Amino acid sequence: MRYVVGYSANARGHDAVNLAVSLARGRGASLDLVLVVPEVQQFGAAHAPKAGFENLLNEQARQWLDEALALVPADVPAQAHIRSGDSDAHALIEAAEELGADVLVIGATSSGLFKRFTIGSVASALLHASTVPVALAPHGYYRQEALTRISCGLGTRAGAEKLLDFAIGMAANRAVPLRVVSLLALDGGDSTAATAAREYAEKTVAAAAPVSPSGVQLAAKTEVVVAQGRSIEEAVDGLDWEDGEVLVIGSSRLAQGRSIFLGSTASRILRALPVPMLVVPSGYELKHQNHPTSNDTSGEAPQ
Amino acid sequence: MSTEHAAAKASHDTHAGLSAKGLKAGSVGLIGAVVIGVSCIAPAYTLTAALGPTVAEVGVQLPAIFLVGFIPMLLVAFGYRELNNAMPDAGTSFTWASRAFGPWIGWMGGWGLIAATIIVLSNLAAVAVDFFYLMLAQLFGNPELADLTLNLPLNIATTLVFIALACWISYRGMETTKGVQYVLVAFQLFVLGWFAVAAFSHVANGTAFDATAISPEWFNPFAVESFSAFAAGVSLSIFIYWGWDVTLTMNEETRNPEKTPGRAATVTVLVIVIIYMTVALATLSYAGIGQEGLGAGNPENQGSIFAVLAGPVMGPFAILMSLSILSSSAASLQSTFVSPARTLLAMGHYKALPTKFGRISPTFKSPSYATIAAAIAAAGFYVITRTTSENALWDTITALGMMICFYYGITALACVWFFRSEAFSGAQAFFFKFLAPLLGGVILLVMFVKTAYDSMDPAYGSGSSVGGIGLVFILGMGVILLGVVLMLVMAKIRPEFFKGKVLPTGY
Repeated sequence: MRYVVGYSANARGHDAVNLAVSLARGRGASLDLVLVVPEVQQFGAAHAPKAGFENLLNEQARQWLDEALALVPADVPAQAHIRSGDSDAHALIEAAEELGADVLVIGATSSGLFKRFTIGSVASALLHASTVPVALAPHGYYRQEALTRISCGLGTRAGAEKLLDFAIGMAANRAVPLRVVSLLALDGGDSTAATAAREYAEKTVAAAAPVSPSGVQLAAKTEVVVAQGRSIEEAVDGLDWEDGEVLVIGSSRLAQGRSIFLGSTASRILRALPVPMLVVPSGYELKHQNHPTSNDTSGEAPQ
Repeated sequence: MSTEHAAAKASHDTHAGLSAKGLKAGSVGLIGAVVIGVSCIAPAYTLTAALGPTVAEVGVQLPAIFLVGFIPMLLVAFGYRELNNAMPDAGTSFTWASRAFGPWIGWMGGWGLIAATIIVLSNLAAVAVDFFYLMLAQLFGNPELADLTLNLPLNIATTLVFIALACWISYRGMETTKGVQYVLVAFQLFVLGWFAVAAFSHVANGTAFDATAISPEWFNPFAVESFSAFAAGVSLSIFIYWGWDVTLTMNEETRNPEKTPGRAATVTVLVIVIIYMTVALATLSYAGIGQEGLGAGNPENQGSIFAVLAGPVMGPFAILMSLSILSSSAASLQSTFVSPARTLLAMGHYKALPTKFGRISPTFKSPSYATIAAAIAAAGFYVITRTTSENALWDTITALGMMICFYYGITALACVWFFRSEAFSGAQAFFFKFLAPLLGGVILLVMFVKTAYDSMDPAYGSGSSVGGIGLVFILGMGVILLGVVLMLVMAKIRPEFFKGKVLPTGY
């Protein structure tokens, strides 16, 4: 398992490293810290040759990456890479594809003033083009211990089963409980919709469980929750979230091919969410299914 | 797991190599390289800024001086290319002069480069502001709007806003893209061509302001009345070719590093010379060099000639000229910010300035402190010239010409001295590493000394003076003296660089 971390030498980069460590510890994955330096162009720089500036930039990037490696605890293997590219997002996606990454981890933003998540431009570009799942660390994410629970945001549209398979596999591989969450924006008292959502979720979970090889024991541990609120944000706020939890959601049906497109509901969830979010491209299949953790130190129970 | 970390550190070097390989090598073709060269020169801007002051010095011999001015630029550029190939470095003149002559002259070479780019930033912003208001006036058919630029507080405020915007864009690491640059360059050449054709047709129709017949004497540099005028003219025309050298230093990014840079440099200079000659001849034959009205010799017109002439010559289409100069000077303003910022960054990196100048923004990966310092210096320079000079643009350009002569002169001689042991190893080395830069450097330093001496006269340039001494002298020498003072302060508080430990001389 390899997780690519989009690193920058600021608070956002630290958030991303912490989340990556946390994700890696439950799976014995290794980290690839990637720092993107801009391609120095001859267009748009008068009276300034570019060669020397590139050297200074690369020297600084190496220094930053050494600092970044120092943030990674000794039990998580990590490598550092410098990439150059016009667009941070494209360079990261390229690196993730080239390194065969299973997840791309980034800090969502460095300064969400009022809300926990406001999407930075790099994150937003990634969420529109990545072909691998993208993990977004909220501002100020400090936790480095392994995950304690996976939540899966379940919608009713096509592809929900695939997403649930992914989440079930993820929880099974990490031996942590799974919670299936249905978020509803309703005016108070519409209990039929809530019941319908619950029935649908339970049915989907039941249908998915036998298919997933490790899901048999897991189905018992799976909890189904319907969260209601006047808005999606309120529904998110109404749920209890563990510190070591991650919310897995699918990309919108607007996504092209097998890439991600964050729908409006997902964007709104993101704005209220206090825990990291993992956005899975539509049609993405979890690799390495049923490979239990090996070299982690978190003491998870063997399968 | 510590072995993993060690391995990761060891793999750094290979990844640094990777990142260099990851560059889109060879993406710039001949046309791209020419566009880069022309956009660095920004002909519409340089002509409007330098044509008037040059006419004031050399009169109708303007075409001759424009041609002669290219010779020292060419000679120096050969040396520049040799140094850039041997020591590619963000500090350019600073680093090269330090490696050749030691820390003190190196520091002043770097200071000259920074000062020149700071001065041109303030001039670019001011020209952009003039044409901004002129364009508003043309757009709304209200000539009073154009006069807003004469309102001192408003003018200073607008200029500072332009500088701040360009600084912000540069700080965010945003750059003018290739496509935009192509459009800007094509538009500039198109509008300048239109201006020339329109001016000549006015001359042919007898509707020119002061129709003057073109004479071969205009091309005779020896017809310039005095050596002072000649020196002043040449140091101004160095400015109009400033930036051309970039075409020679492009190597690995061109598709054919063997041939493209040389061809691009040749094509660029042909394009530039043709457009300069055409516009210079058109301006002189349409407006003459009279001191009245639209005459190119009228001190009122010297600061920005097209602001005055575009209307009468191009009629309602003058707005295209405003748009072209506004867009190209705004683009140049932003792209020129990169230069002092990188030089300051390199000087901070080599411990010749406080460490904070060497900072790179972790978010935008651009020089952070250095970019802001350059903006503050450019803003400060503009406020001082605007409030002390009767014609800030004119005096700024004259001081700028001097400053370019100063640092190019030092750079060229640094080339001669640095390569002295190879100078006689072959005909090619002799010419490119010794003779050409030696001649170019000496010519430029002579022009610098002569212009500096002459500019002490209170009547020099626009005729502004402080305490009986010409303002151009005070600006030029003041900036150099300030550099000396700062250098001595730095030597006191951070002596490492000045002991020659950071950038030792020689190979």
